Amino acid sequence: MENKNEEDLKALQLRFVGKVIAGFTHEIKNYLAIIKESSGLIGDMIKMGKLSEDDIPEYLDIIQSIEDQIGKATEHFTHLNRFSHRMDTQISAFNLNECMEELIALLNRFARQKKIVLETDFQQDLPPVKSNPSILQLLVFSFLEKKIAGLEKNGRITVRTGAVDNAVAVKIIPEGTFAEEDTDAGMTADKIRENFIKQLGGNISQGTAKETVITLPVHGV
Amino acid sequence: MKQKDIKVLVVDDEVAFANTLAQRLRMRDMEVGTAYDGEQALSKLNKEAPDVIILDLKMPGMHGMDVLQEIKAGYPEIQVILLTGHGTDRDGEEARRLGGFDFLNKPADIDHLECKIRKAFQEKLKRTV
Repeated sequence: MENKNEEDLKALQLRFVGKVIAGFTHEIKNYLAIIKESSGLIGDMIKMGKLSEDDIPEYLDIIQSIEDQIGKATEHFTHLNRFSHRMDTQISAFNLNECMEELIALLNRFARQKKIVLETDFQQDLPPVKSNPSILQLLVFSFLEKKIAGLEKNGRITVRTGAVDNAVAVKIIPEGTFAEEDTDAGMTADKIRENFIKQLGGNISQGTAKETVITLPVHGV
Repeated sequence: MKQKDIKVLVVDDEVAFANTLAQRLRMRDMEVGTAYDGEQALSKLNKEAPDVIILDLKMPGMHGMDVLQEIKAGYPEIQVILLTGHGTDRDGEEARRLGGFDFLNKPADIDHLECKIRKAFQEKLKRTV
């Protein structure tokens, strides 16, 4: 049984990193494709002799579109870079909202593919949390993956943060119709989650309507 | 038949990509429409009657392969070129098995894509004569 847990944990970790990298590369390739077509369009316009003063606004629009794509790509690189560096140290003081925002940005594509809206509702001015952000992201991913798989298209998942006393909480709230029963692919998923939350010194509870609440002490284990 | 008569439908969930590519193809004397997902593309087939469809593979909702299958079931004469940034060799084989005309990687060189569209159009003419 111990080996089975280990195998399921490794499978979850690999799936997590694989999904993040696949989503990231997909987004970046799309941004580059738009930049290529936009610069190609400028080339086409020059070759066609569209060089009068009246054409300037069109050129400026295309240049703006290129700048927008570069901006989006840079933001995505920042998310991936932060995500990777969270694994440098096991325990660190981090901002919960930034940690969740980065996770949502990196996983958003998979929700979008199923026409599910993945959105955030963050309480501002949360205290910094001293804990293991990588494990927290993996834990939240395990719930998001399950809910994205279960929800039918046009569903919605809100990731809400909040603080109570000396704890912070992440609430995962799905809305919509579940196409299949809200079950896990791995038999030992609950055991893995229990292990994660034990490492974080927190608590997992189920709210109403398939909501999941993850609570973490601000000052760590 | 003049190249102007080629009707193309660009299907891609990246709106900026679809619109820019459509604009570049129009500058090459083609009549080009756009659709931003598979369902929208299928709903336009009857009215717009494209000769050639440039189809993305991974889109929200319907997957490109499912869209290709539906196009070929209802409108076998329409030629479909898959244009994707994320396809594998197996996807290419599957696209051809389902009747796709070609399978290109995104971003494609515009001259190369134009050449493929022309060839696909010739194929469509052959099948409809």
